[in-house]
Formats: sequence, C-alpha cells, structure tokens
Amino acid sequence: MTFVLRRISVTADGREIIRTSEIARSEITIGRDAASDVHLADLAVSPQHAVMTCNDGRHVEVRATSGLGFDWNGRTVTNASIDAGDGAELRFGGHRITVALDTEAAPPRVSLTVTRTDELSHSALARDEAQAFSLRGLIPGRRVSAWVFSLLMLAAFLVAPIYAYMHWRGVEERPNSFHADSSWTSGPLSSAHASLARDCQSCHTDAFVAVTDTSCKSCHDDAHDHAPMARQLAARGEPGAWSAALIRIGAAFNRDQGRCVDCHTEHEGEGPMPATAQRFCTDCHDGMSQRLSDTRIGDAGDFGTSHPQFRPRVQTVPGAKPQYQRVTLNAQTQDRNGLKFPHNLHLQAAGGVARMARNLNMTNGRQTGLDCANCHRPSADRVRFEPVDMERDCQSCHSLAIETIGGVTRTLRHGEPEQVVGDLYAYYRSTPPTRPLNLGGMARRRPGEYAQGQTYNIYFRETAVRPSRADDAVRAVFSRGGACYDCHTIFAPGVGNNNWRVLPVNQSARYLNHGWFDHRPHDQEECSTCHAAARSSSANQLLIPEIKVCRDCHGGENSGADVESSCASCHEYHPGSAASAPWRPASDRDRRRRVTSITDGIVRGLYGG
Amino acid sequence: MARLLRRKTAAQSGRERSTLHSSFLSHAGFLWMKVALVLSLLAITSYLLVDVTPRHNGGSWYGYTLGTIGALLILWLTLLGLRKRAMTSGAWSLKAWTSAHVYLGLSLTVIGTLHSGLQLGWNVHTLAWVLMMLVIASGIWGIAVYSILPSALSNNRDERTQAQMLDDIRSIDRQLHEAAQPLAPADAAIVRETLDDDPFAGSLLARLTGRYPRCATAAALLKIRQQTGHQPDTGGDPLEKVDGLLSRKVAALGRLRRHLKIKALLEIWLYIHVPMTFALIAALSAHIISVFFYW
Repeated sequence: MTFVLRRISVTADGREIIRTSEIARSEITIGRDAASDVHLADLAVSPQHAVMTCNDGRHVEVRATSGLGFDWNGRTVTNASIDAGDGAELRFGGHRITVALDTEAAPPRVSLTVTRTDELSHSALARDEAQAFSLRGLIPGRRVSAWVFSLLMLAAFLVAPIYAYMHWRGVEERPNSFHADSSWTSGPLSSAHASLARDCQSCHTDAFVAVTDTSCKSCHDDAHDHAPMARQLAARGEPGAWSAALIRIGAAFNRDQGRCVDCHTEHEGEGPMPATAQRFCTDCHDGMSQRLSDTRIGDAGDFGTSHPQFRPRVQTVPGAKPQYQRVTLNAQTQDRNGLKFPHNLHLQAAGGVARMARNLNMTNGRQTGLDCANCHRPSADRVRFEPVDMERDCQSCHSLAIETIGGVTRTLRHGEPEQVVGDLYAYYRSTPPTRPLNLGGMARRRPGEYAQGQTYNIYFRETAVRPSRADDAVRAVFSRGGACYDCHTIFAPGVGNNNWRVLPVNQSARYLNHGWFDHRPHDQEECSTCHAAARSSSANQLLIPEIKVCRDCHGGENSGADVESSCASCHEYHPGSAASAPWRPASDRDRRRRVTSITDGIVRGLYGG
Repeated sequence: MARLLRRKTAAQSGRERSTLHSSFLSHAGFLWMKVALVLSLLAITSYLLVDVTPRHNGGSWYGYTLGTIGALLILWLTLLGLRKRAMTSGAWSLKAWTSAHVYLGLSLTVIGTLHSGLQLGWNVHTLAWVLMMLVIASGIWGIAVYSILPSALSNNRDERTQAQMLDDIRSIDRQLHEAAQPLAPADAAIVRETLDDDPFAGSLLARLTGRYPRCATAAALLKIRQQTGHQPDTGGDPLEKVDGLLSRKVAALGRLRRHLKIKALLEIWLYIHVPMTFALIAALSAHIISVFFYW
C-alpha cells in the first residue's frame, strides 16, 4: 500500500510550501526519530511515537508505541481505527496530521497532510512589541482604574452620605450605629457633644443651610440672649469693608451672623470645648460707649489695661428696709451694714483683744492676736464667706452670759431685744441679791446691825427693791458700755414703754454681682494681700480690693501677666446664669500651671480636681 | 519614555533646537520653581499672620481661600493630560506647561496642607488630602526615575533594541529546539518547558523587582546541569550543547528582564499618578459638596 505524505510549511512571509512524497509501505512509523517515516521535529513527540497501518488503502489503524497517546478528532487515545473516506485529524505534540482519502488516484490512496500548528517556542509567538515591553496587561489600565477609583470615591463619600441624610431626614434621633455621613465630619466633637457624633442631623438639619440656633436651642432651651440683637449689632458698630464683605458672602451662602456657633465652634477636637476667646467680647465692649451712647456698662478691653473700676453693690441705708446702690469702688467706699466693728482693734497683735484671744487659746499658741479665720468662715463651696454669726463667731469673747445655775450658763438672747428685756426683768424678779456671808452662821446677832448702812439694812433693802433694779439693767445693756451698744446701733424706747430696738444688720455675701470672684484659687494667698482689714477702724468701710490689686497678678488674654484672665474668667455671656460661675473648660491646664508657679508650692485639689 | 523619544525625534529633525539642552525642570531659568516658592512662602506667611479663631481650619475665610486656590490648581494640573496631546512651542510651550505642572504641583503640598489647618482625621477631607499627597509623591517618583533610570536602561540594552533582545531569545530557542531533537523524552520535556515559557510572563511584582523564582529556563538549566556537571564535555553530547544554549538563554533573559524592570519602574508611577488624580477629583468633589451640605 502507498501513503501520500504532504508536508506543509509556512515561510516567514506567510507563503505555504507543500512538499509531497509517497511511502510505499503498509506500515509507517511516526516520531521524532529522524529515521521515522513521518518525521516530526517536535520535542513533544517521542522518537518512536506511533505506528500507522493500512492494508486496504482505506482503513487506517494507528497505534501508539511509546506510551504517549495522540489526539484523534480532539480526544486523546492510544489506538485509532480510521476510515480514510470519513477523514480524521490526528495531533502529535505541536503537529497536525490530517488523514484523508486521495480519490483522484487509482486506486484511491490514503493521504497524510502534516502541518506544524504550534510555534516552536513561546518566544517565537508574534506579539505587539509596545505592549509586551510595557506594563499593559499586568496592571489595570489607567483609564479603567481611574474610573473605578473615582466611582468608588463618589459612591462611598458622596452618594452613601447623601443617602443617609435623606433616609434619616425628619427622624428625631438616629440609632447609634454607623451612618455613612459620619465620614463627612471635619473633626471630633467636644466631649459635651460626643454622643451626637453619629447623628449629624441633630445639628445639621437642612442641606446647604449652616447650623442654626434652633438646633442648639432644642436642647439648650435655658440659654438667654446676651442682649437684644439690635443693641448687640449697634455695639459692634459698622463692620469694616473686609468684614462687611465676609458677612455678605456668608449670608449669600446661608451662613448668617450672630449664630451660637459663631462663638461655640465645634468639630475642633475631642475634650472640652475651647474657652471663648477674649476677642469675642472686646469686639463690642472695647470702646462701646462711643457706639452705644446710652449704655451704662463701662468700656472694657483687656482686664489688665482697660477694664473699668469695680462697681460693687453697697448698702447706702441700713436697717429693716436696706437700700442698695452700685458705686465705683475706692478706698473710701462705705457699705452701711448696720454694724459697729473696728477691724484694726481686733487684728492687733498685742493688746487686750490679743491677750484675750491667747487666753481663750484661739491663736494656736502663737503670741499674736486674732486672725481673719477666727471670725470669718468660708461657705460650703469655699467660693466666698458665710456672714459673721454672733453666737458662733463673736460670743466666745463678747459673752452675753448673765448667770450660772447648776453649771448651766444663761445668756441673753442675741437678735431678740424684747427677750433680752424680758429675761432681765425675770432675772431681777426671781433672784435675790447675793446674801452677804456675815448674815449667816450661828453668831449671836447684836443690836445695831440693822441700822442704816449696816449689812442687814443694806441687804434687806436691796431685797425689797430688787425687782425695780431690772429697769437699770435693761438701760445699761442697751447704752454706751453695754453689751449690745458695743456692736449695734440702738434706738431707745419712747416715754412710757420699754421698746428698745436694735438696727438690723444686713451682711452682703456678694458685692460684685456681674462678675464672678472665687476665693478657692486664691487659697494660698494671705487675706491681707487683698483686704486691708488691719487698717480699717470702721465696719462701714468696704474692704474688697480695687482692680489695681487684682492686676498685680491678673492681666488679659495673651498679656504676659502671671495669670492671664480673659473676660470669660469672671463674666458670663448668657446673663441668665449670672448667679453661678462662668462656664470654663473642665480641665484648664494652662491656668492651673500658672497659678502653681506664682505660689511656688504644691497646690493639691486647689480647683476641686 | 514617550516624551524622551519625542524629544529625540525633534533633535534629529532640527526643530526646537534652542530649547532642547535644558530640561523642563530648569525651563526659563527655573521660573516656575520661583513662582511656586513665592506662592508657598506667601501661603506660609499669611497662615502665620492671619488670626483664625479658635484655630486654623478649612472653614474660615482664609481656609476657603486656600481651598479654592488648591482646588483650581488641582484641576489645572490635571489639564496637563489634555495639554500634552498638543505640542506647541514658545512661552506657553508644552515644556513651560510641564515645568509649571511640576513646580505648582509641589507647592500644592503646602497649600493643601495649610488649607487643612493641620487637622487630619478619618474623614473624606483627609482622604482628599492623602490622595493629593499620593498623586504628588508619585509625580516626584516619576521625575526621580526619569532622571536616574534612563542611563541604566541604555547601559543594560548594550545598543540593542527591544526587538533584538527578543530575537536573541527566539534564536536561542530555535537552536535549543534543534539541539534537543536527539534527546530522550524526559530530557526533551525539560527543554520543552523552557521553550514553552513566556519570556514576558511574571506578575507585576516580578516585573518591578526583577525576581522570577519560578523561571522555567533557570530550572531547566539546573536539571540539565545535574546530568552534565559531573561528566567531561566531549563535544558530542547533545546535552552539553543544550546546557550551553540554556546558559545563553538565562543570560539573554536576564538582560531582557532587567530591561523590563527598569521600564516598569519608569512606567509604574503613571499607573498611580493618573488614576489617583481622578480618584482625587472625585474625593475633592465629595469634600467640597460635603462641607456645603453640612455647614
């Protein structure tokens, strides 16, 4: 039998060259071995790969001889029986052998067409040089990744937050879970508002509208306005061209002036909100009288340099219906509280008062006189002082005792003149004069002892008139040299009655009601540093220090003073809460450090932690 | 690379000769470097002088001003992508534009950072800042490799073109194929592995580092060496010939891969610079819309 063998090879320029040969045998070998009938120079082919047999010129038997199989119409087999009339395609490694029946010849012969299908090596593959030598294909293209990243950004940081906003719009309070718009935060909220961090809409209620006061006041419903807005604007005066431009631009973008958040800035970091800067006050209050001519508030800029003298509220008329007035403080300022009390006498280091204090062991063994703390006690919050209390603070020296019965000392009642009068009458009525010693005993009484001027006579006469002595005693106690008169102003009774009256005493706990003074941070100072009590001979003299005394340590913000105190150190912006301390960040570390440095001592718990 | 090639073409054709000797970095006596420096110093000085209470942030009038400048600058810098497709000469030449792109882009680090008021956090605003810095950093990388690597590239090429490098390998492959014909199936399989190996295969990481630990050619050489190593080269053993050819292929592949590595280092920055620019513009849009949305 004869096989017709056609080898097709392709030239570099793509032309096909067909070489035809005939093999006149009924069994031919296929393999890489050069001696094979069908020589396939292919490393994927075994040297003796297969044997092909054909006995009738039509039916072909192919048998693998090397253990490696071959592909027959796409399936890997080791044996194949082929009817050349039907045709078949065999594959050995990178070569294809097409089996067909050559009907043009007589008799028909089996034809084998051998084509190399695979390239000899991978490197021989035709490729686009520009692509092969670049990163294309190894990394997503620039255009693709630009689109992917951009859309990712827009989805995560624009679409999702807006969706969150729309979804929770109108809802009173969002659940405390992640919401996409929290990625829009410009910084952590202050500790007071930290719980709102995930609920942007608790403040930012309307899109493209800056936070309004309504949002703040929904919680802070007790915040009072500082002053009517018209007066505030007048106090600030006409803005300069630059400020006016900023205001106009702000208004154009839905950002009005005078909102809470102008001063109370948020998203400035964790921890307490920052203290309000001095500038927010002085923008209006510095030179305000020129812009707001009818104001009664003095111009105030920096505390150290331009702050009006203190104007304490003092009593001008003492008594049951006292009258008060704010006056500008000076060394002669009087506070007519209704008391007579010379501070200088009580604070002397020597003399009768000092001697008595030492006898009563009030000086802790020191050879001095009284000090302030003997009479003045701080209030429970230690911010200021309790009013002086006669029974507690004076009576250890200024005793109102009248007698001792069975070890119990009876005293006149302080603050109740009618009771004093009554008690004295009762005393003189119920108690006889002290019986002279020589009236007792068993000695024989002799005539003459009852004569006028003798003991018996004196004693029994005294006993007889005893009750009427009360009038004298009452008069004495309320008059010069008496126990009440020393400290109080007394009104004598009219004719026919015994209605002694004492001018009521009103002690002011606080004189500066528009500013806040706290004694606690000043604990390490001597009282006398600020209060000139040792030189004061009158209880009417107001002993609170003038502003120049404060300025020894205190100056305004950034003034370089030992203690830099902005307006907010003493003044409250929202006047509704004037009775309490002005708001201040919980941990004012800077201030604490400075105070410590001027006292040169360790101040523990000075500010209540 | 493309730009360098274009310059070379221009030099050969004699056009733009007067400007060719100076790079875009030193264009017009470092004019744009001076402009960018002045801009940055101006920003820093005003940042220190302008009193923003309670502290600097993007939401003050000063912050908005810097932000607007920064955003416009970013958009203008992005326009280089369009501008570079139109080559012109003169004061507004592409080179001048590129010079301005580089220096103004660098000054953006100052403007963008001051705009933030140094307040960074986990939010869209800082994301935009990070993307901006990433784009600028990749740009700096690009300039750095363009000034350092081309000489390494040409040293490695040894006056051969890319096509020639590939042809070297193809030629070795053909010879390997020929030399391996007498080999037993097992040895032939070893040679086939290297022939079937794609010289351009390898991950991005392999391209950038030039390390190909699973290189079939190196493995094939190792296996053949195990057989040839201990026997004398008599000259007739086809394995010896294959051994020699494999060694040559390893060398040729090494040169090709070094070439690919340097090219990858030269190219990679644009794959960050360009997509990150568009990511930045998207994040910037989100940033700007967000501050007005919730403000």
